[in-house]
Amino acid sequence: MINNIETPSINNSYDIAIIGAGPAGMSAAITATKAGARVVVLDDKPRSGGQIYRNVDASPLAKPTVLGADYLKGSEITAAFKRCSAEHISSVNVWHAGDNGELLFSLEGETQRLTARQIIVATGAMERPFPIPGWHLPGVMSAGSAQVMLKSDGLVRDGAVFAGTGPLLYLIVAQYLRLGVKVKALVDTTPKQNYLSSMSEITGAMSAPRMLIKGLGLMNEIRKSDTKVYRFAEGLEIQGEEACKGLSFSISGSKHEIVTEHVFLHQGVIPNLNMTQALGLKHTWCEQQLCWTPETDNWGQSSQGVIAVAGDSSGIVGAESAAAMGRICALRQLVNIGLITEQQADHEAADDLRFMRKQQHFRRFIDRLYRPLDQHRKPTNDQTVVCRCEERTVKDLKQGFALGGREPNQLKSQTRCGMGPCQGRMCGHTVSELLAEWRNEPVADVGYYRLRSPMRLVTLQELSRFTNLTPVSTVDRASSGTSDSDVEANKEQELAQ
Amino acid sequence: MFRSLNDKENQRSLINLTINGKLVTAPQGQTVWAAMALAGETSTRLSPVTLKARSAYCAMGVCFECMTEINGMPNQQACLFEVKEGMDIRFQEITEQTSLLNPSDSVSTLTENVGGNHD
Amino acid sequence: MTTHKSEVLVIGGGIQGSSTAYHLAKRGVSVRVLEKDTVSRHASGVNAGGVRLLGRNLAEVELSKTAMERWQQLDDELDADTGFRARSLINIAADETDMETLRSREQQMHELGYFHEVMLDQHELRERLPHVAQHCIGGVVSEQDGYAIPFHSTQAFRIAAERIGAIFCEGEQVQSIRKVGDSWLVATETQKYQAEHLVNCAGAWADLISVMIGDNVPMSYSAPMLMITARMPHFATPVVGAVSRPLSFKQFENGTVLIGGGAKGFADRANNTTRLDYSLLASGAHHAIEFFPIMKTACINRMWSGLEAYMPDNLPVIGKSIRADKAYHAFAFSAHGFQLGPVIGEVLADLITEGESRFDLEPFRVNRYERKVL
Ligand SMILES: Cc1cc2nc3c(=O)[nH]c(=O)nc-3n(C[C@H](O)[C@H](O)[C@H](O)COP(=O)(O)OP(=O)(O)OC[C@H]3O[C@@H](n4cnc5c(N)ncnc54)[C@H](O)[C@@H]3O)c2cc1C
Ligand SMILES: Cc1cc2nc3c(=O)[nH]c(=O)nc-3n(C[C@H](O)[C@H](O)[C@H](O)COP(=O)(O)OP(=O)(O)OC[C@H]3O[C@@H](n4cnc5c(N)ncnc54)[C@H](O)[C@@H]3O)c2cc1C
Ligand code: FES
Repeated sequence: MINNIETPSINNSYDIAIIGAGPAGMSAAITATKAGARVVVLDDKPRSGGQIYRNVDASPLAKPTVLGADYLKGSEITAAFKRCSAEHISSVNVWHAGDNGELLFSLEGETQRLTARQIIVATGAMERPFPIPGWHLPGVMSAGSAQVMLKSDGLVRDGAVFAGTGPLLYLIVAQYLRLGVKVKALVDTTPKQNYLSSMSEITGAMSAPRMLIKGLGLMNEIRKSDTKVYRFAEGLEIQGEEACKGLSFSISGSKHEIVTEHVFLHQGVIPNLNMTQALGLKHTWCEQQLCWTPETDNWGQSSQGVIAVAGDSSGIVGAESAAAMGRICALRQLVNIGLITEQQADHEAADDLRFMRKQQHFRRFIDRLYRPLDQHRKPTNDQTVVCRCEERTVKDLKQGFALGGREPNQLKSQTRCGMGPCQGRMCGHTVSELLAEWRNEPVADVGYYRLRSPMRLVTLQELSRFTNLTPVSTVDRASSGTSDSDVEANKEQELAQ
Repeated sequence: MFRSLNDKENQRSLINLTINGKLVTAPQGQTVWAAMALAGETSTRLSPVTLKARSAYCAMGVCFECMTEINGMPNQQACLFEVKEGMDIRFQEITEQTSLLNPSDSVSTLTENVGGNHD
Repeated sequence: MTTHKSEVLVIGGGIQGSSTAYHLAKRGVSVRVLEKDTVSRHASGVNAGGVRLLGRNLAEVELSKTAMERWQQLDDELDADTGFRARSLINIAADETDMETLRSREQQMHELGYFHEVMLDQHELRERLPHVAQHCIGGVVSEQDGYAIPFHSTQAFRIAAERIGAIFCEGEQVQSIRKVGDSWLVATETQKYQAEHLVNCAGAWADLISVMIGDNVPMSYSAPMLMITARMPHFATPVVGAVSRPLSFKQFENGTVLIGGGAKGFADRANNTTRLDYSLLASGAHHAIEFFPIMKTACINRMWSGLEAYMPDNLPVIGKSIRADKAYHAFAFSAHGFQLGPVIGEVLADLITEGESRFDLEPFRVNRYERKVL
């Protein structure tokens, strides 16, 4: 592997470009290079690993073993990835991917371009937003952030409250406890009925008993500690005006309040949609996971010929399936570019495809068990902030809806909800679900924001220097010849003569 | 308070930077957000509409709550940047009301410092 | 199947169609607007919001001046918030050649009796735009100009029109048009409509409607691109353009800066989509920084483009159909039709209810490119 190449690749072309060096991206690269493809992997972190294996080779902790066996296992795949011939461009943000195989990315503040015949999007997941009153206050963070800070910087926060539902929540609490970090309380919002309804999937889950046991183990670990655990909590609200002062909630009708300046919230993960949406891929609403997912076939192939989506960015599958999907996507693309035959792909993918099918049962069980509460996804309190960037509340959205903002893009134009720097990451799902409720129609009919590149803020200065591609002339793309207009200089002075 | 379990801190080379004027050292490779959190400077910016202090939420680049001013350049996501020697990190105060229209308004930090600072 | 009847059918729910519906409804005419997507989904909802009289082609000055008067009171008239702000528009002169261009334009305008464009020397320029680069030596200003929020403006017309009886049908794509007797029969996938008068305000798709009516036009379409920054400290109150450079931006009240520059992306009207050309956007970025060094601190939040129709002379088509009776066109505004919205509705309403307009529409004839038969 060539790491962070000295002279950045300009106008380089590859067989396959992979965005994201998590388990999905890394395994895709390993498979594709084995067959002789020219592969480039771009990732915005300094080191490969993705979310789960973040810093697995360079942990800031003295005993990374506390992070668990699943984490340590990552060093196998990162080592294999380093050995493979893929070019790894690290610490770069891919701010544009096009269905024409073009990638634009920021390397040390300069935009570079490369092209590939095929693209695998493996950009992973993000945590589901948790829009409750006060979630925007300083002192409230996502539980994933606690894990990110721990893995990358060895940072912990004593005496915090963790609240919500889902395996990642229990994992980080367990990790904190193993490290001797005091956790003030775990407020579990998994409702009683989820335990009942998920039982219908239990047989499926038994097909992956190892994972089931792992999950139960975490809960046991937490219960055995002296951390106070509240179960079946609902109606979560952050207390405080300027900053977090506490967390209130109720359990079977009785009110509770914990005084704390730090709350970590979590209610599962969802695909980080911005790139697949900006690529114009078809997306569907996944009722099981309550999120939008790009439409793909079993081989990760999207609705656009050259684009495949692997791992959590295609719908939440977890680390092992992400790796399997990465391999499957790579095989398909190897067929597409003629490096292997379809028979070879079928043969080599057989195990992974079977594994993926098996995992689906377990996924159904997990998704059912940890299905977040409606009230924590679809805020009803008028004051609750939905769009953190533009500070738009439920009340603002209701007003926009009354004025005709019936669809996410209209509502956005009407209210500015979703127009800020995060480009809908923090409000998009809430908006889709709220509109569906207000319209009394399925979320699938409501749709999502139309997204565009850039994936992150790009400085005007950086963009202004991106002129190394085509001659910079204002060649008129309209067949009508040069035009005067408000979007361009007013040349009418001349025209008028 | 956030605290660091970073046992290798002493082995990693230390970097000097300022956060809101305060001199701070941070191990190489640390994110700007982590350096801020450890220095007790957890406010990242003023929210632009209601002018309230905000702080990092996701630590992984998706929420944009951690936008700060780094070396005179606003809107930099502290959780995605690594510390660099001499870095100047500031609480971001650009809101809907900020104005540089008055001739007496200083623009120095905003125009002069920016330039070669993208490395 | 029932046929929906109205006196007038308008095809296209952009600002022109919505304004037309408003003005007709105001006169008590029953009117229905058919929009294939949603109202203000296209150019009228995503444009740069520039409300510009400055530098208008002479053929358009009268229309544009009237529109500008309307804009000053539009919020009151429509009882809505269009976001219009009269902030003035300044075109910057970067060198003597630019100043020369401005001087001859000024002379020409004065001769015609127009005095709304006023030249600025370097000092005056700097006074109005304290952050302009040192090398800029002057410019020209039009005081009434400004900007509005496109989506809100178009919706404002729509809502005002609906309030007085106009009907808007969204998701209704016109597929065929027939004239039977004195009536226009228009069909969408599932519905049939009938009207005495037919108005073509179909934006980037207007040539297709035009053909169905019987008029052939050399219209083209394209995808002008825009980008908007994250909030910046307020540094420019007027809308800014340049005499001879692809520079165009405005800073909104919320601090975000919308940057144009004339670059065009790739248009795919069949699929309602556009693609951006990032290297062309780069040159827009370059010019913005060159003229306003403070823009070095700008961060681009989003880039986009919309579908717009053009005629070869960059003048719109406005007026009666040549081939058919009681059919009217208003399209191909060539990237400056937003400002004209308030007056175009009036013009069409006049044509329909009075049979004529007080404006000279000769330069906008639909058949102006047809070869004369000798
Ligand atoms: C905060 C967080 C913590 C998690 N922790 C765990 C855990 O401890 N255990 C567990 O089993 N699962 C965890 N998960 C779930 C995890 O997403 C999956 O288990 C697994 O990491 C998915 O692998 P992936 O390859 O699909 O994506 P990821 O591992 O997320 O890899 C995607 C990579 O792409 C990069 N990327 C994204 N966009 C761009 C871009 N525009 N340009 C360049 N690079 C980009 C990301 O930075 C990341 O490195 C976590 C998820 C989150 C959000
Ligand atoms: C990026 C950009 C920036 C611009 N900036 C400015 C500016 O700053 N100032 C300015 O004055 N102008 C500007 N313009 C130009 C201005 O936006 C347009 O001239 C104006 O909006 C045109 O309005 P319209 O109603 O004719 O078209 P549109 O808004 O495009 O409306 C036409 C409608 O017709 C519908 N339609 C088409 N075919 C059918 C059919 N068969 N059946 C039913 N419905 C149909 C379409 O779906 C569409 O909604 C800009 C344009 C763009 C694209
Ligand atoms: S904390 Fe969310 S983007 Fe940095």
